[in-house]
Amino acid sequence: MKARAVAVLALVAAVAAAIAASTAGAGSSSAAASQVVNCRGPLKIGLITPLTGGAGFLGQEQLSWTQYAITRLARGLGLRVQLVRGDTPVEKGPGEGLVVAQKMIADSRLVAVIGPATSGAVASASQALFAAGIAHISPSATRTSLTYGSNKEATSGFFRVVPGDNIQGPTDANFMVDKLNAKKVVLIDFQEPYSVGLADSTQAVLRRKGVETIRQSTSVNTTDFSSLVTRVPNDADIVFFPTQQPPDAQTFAQQLLEQGKRAKVFGGDGANGPTQFKLAGSYVSNFAPDISGVASSKALLDGWKKANPSATLGSFGPPAYLATQVALLAIKRACDAGNGRMNTRRDIIRQVKKVRVPSSILGGAFRFSTKTNDPLNAKFYIFQIQPNGTYKLVG
Amino acid sequence: MDTFIQLTLNGLTLGSVYALIALGYSLVYGILKLLNFAHGDVFMVGSFIGFGALQLLGGSADPVVPVWLLLILITLAAMAGCAVLGVAIERFAYRPLRDAPRIAPLISALGVSFFIAYSMQLLFGADQRDYDAFSMSEGALFFNGFDIGNVRVPLLRIIIIVSAFVLMALLWMLVTRTRTGKAMQATSHDREAAAMMGIDIDRVIVFAFVLGSALAGAAGVLFALRAPTFAAIGFLAGLKGFTAAVIGGIGSIPGAMAGGLILGFAEAYTQGYISTKWSDLLVFVILIGFMLFRPQGLFGKADIRKV
Repeated sequence: MKARAVAVLALVAAVAAAIAASTAGAGSSSAAASQVVNCRGPLKIGLITPLTGGAGFLGQEQLSWTQYAITRLARGLGLRVQLVRGDTPVEKGPGEGLVVAQKMIADSRLVAVIGPATSGAVASASQALFAAGIAHISPSATRTSLTYGSNKEATSGFFRVVPGDNIQGPTDANFMVDKLNAKKVVLIDFQEPYSVGLADSTQAVLRRKGVETIRQSTSVNTTDFSSLVTRVPNDADIVFFPTQQPPDAQTFAQQLLEQGKRAKVFGGDGANGPTQFKLAGSYVSNFAPDISGVASSKALLDGWKKANPSATLGSFGPPAYLATQVALLAIKRACDAGNGRMNTRRDIIRQVKKVRVPSSILGGAFRFSTKTNDPLNAKFYIFQIQPNGTYKLVG
Repeated sequence: MDTFIQLTLNGLTLGSVYALIALGYSLVYGILKLLNFAHGDVFMVGSFIGFGALQLLGGSADPVVPVWLLLILITLAAMAGCAVLGVAIERFAYRPLRDAPRIAPLISALGVSFFIAYSMQLLFGADQRDYDAFSMSEGALFFNGFDIGNVRVPLLRIIIIVSAFVLMALLWMLVTRTRTGKAMQATSHDREAAAMMGIDIDRVIVFAFVLGSALAGAAGVLFALRAPTFAAIGFLAGLKGFTAAVIGGIGSIPGAMAGGLILGFAEAYTQGYISTKWSDLLVFVILIGFMLFRPQGLFGKADIRKV
């Protein structure tokens, strides 16, 4: 009887401890969310992106442009802002986004996040960031279901300055049909949400336009695609290959050539990596143009080059500048509304959608759509890889 | 027919690499009765050493030595580096547990596997490393070769397949025709009796690790010449090598060779004729099938005990 009482007591204690543990995080995040923030003190902006790993190149681009935006814009807005880096290598899986977000949430001076960069990380971190009242503005997460549909994967605290895959898939498909005259297209997915969603939306448009499509799947762990290449018909015009690893796109394109296939590889924004995917004649789409062609951004670009003399301009960096600009303007609006202080970090979320950028680094005016937290009238761009490995804007 | 020839070529290329990995499993298991689950990570380290050596020698596009010498040097560097790693693993992770219950070195092997994979990721990042063999001799390794029907057999595939078979033949000769090889066979049959006959068991075990790890290093380079490598690649490669060893009969050298090739062909034909997404599943179905219905594999002997 005594033993039974001890067991019951232990069980009650364990349940109490579990409840305490499970609510501890929520308590601290809600406490941080409701904390008054003085706008005069140094504020912090987090950057959640893959700084290392296979997608490290895009994170480094985003880092340099985010830092550049803070240096260039914060002081002019009367803000003192520090950047906090959060590394989410894609190889660690989308859950790493939440791990990094939790660390940032605990910092009461951190008022906004640029990112997460990948859609999977957004899906895993958005709930926690929103619960803590932190606006998170991604420069590169494009999965459609983050902002569309009845089961949105992101919260209303999530915003993105680039269009979703619901724009990318049709843009790619239309280019294949209208510009490349494709009659037969092989579409490959990697059995994960990004590539499946993008391949689905591309395939739907191709079918509607009367193009013969063949769908193949492989694993994200595959790096030798020989037998997949063997299945590509000799008369296929395009292989749509929405990998998130540019070296895989390079290997696939080389193995197509090795087996004498004439199809061109067409990658999505995840395949965009000029130092790694560089086989001439291939195509990639991306959510940002090459800003060296945007006249109004010349001064910005020159300043960035001066600050980063050894860096190469890519397509992932400039949207990070825009996302940071949006975040800083929202912070400024929240601070002005509260006469130099914010009652909670959540004040910034309320301001993000009201931000207008008359002359965006990506060209033209920027604002969010009234229906979603996506940009209004944004579009995808198509690049063709040139013999010298550079990406030329072709659509 | 062209598809069949191409898939056979794909299977032969992949199977040659699996066979080299499987040989390492079989060598160690044959002598120590230990499943060295860190072996896949030694394969990964080999591919990284090869990559490092390639960069030191000027890179793919502009090497400081002729391409044939470059390929030999990076393979030798990987073999040597992995041999040292194999010795270190044996000395620090397995030798102290040699007389412990069999579960202890097995757990130690898994620990070493994770230790190597995460250390490499910490040291070198999780980036994919591409040897860019396409740039060697302006694509000659991909475009030169010979034709079977309408199927081109590129020089790079010939190099990979021939290198793997040469290494396997050398290992076979070493094990069957040298004193050290015979000592290895004797230790494999009965360790205690071999020791009583004057064979230095420690030396034989270390030699088995040197050989197995060097072969894994070579396999790492041969694999990475065609596909990018990264710190986490060893786990799946190791599992496939282990499956190949089980198919052939773990502990059997010819079995490991045959098992690797069978696995390579099975993967290629499944991807080519059934579905690309089922190939990894098939590998493990084969593994479970052999474990259930023929645990001694194709070339192994059933372990019959009197009770």
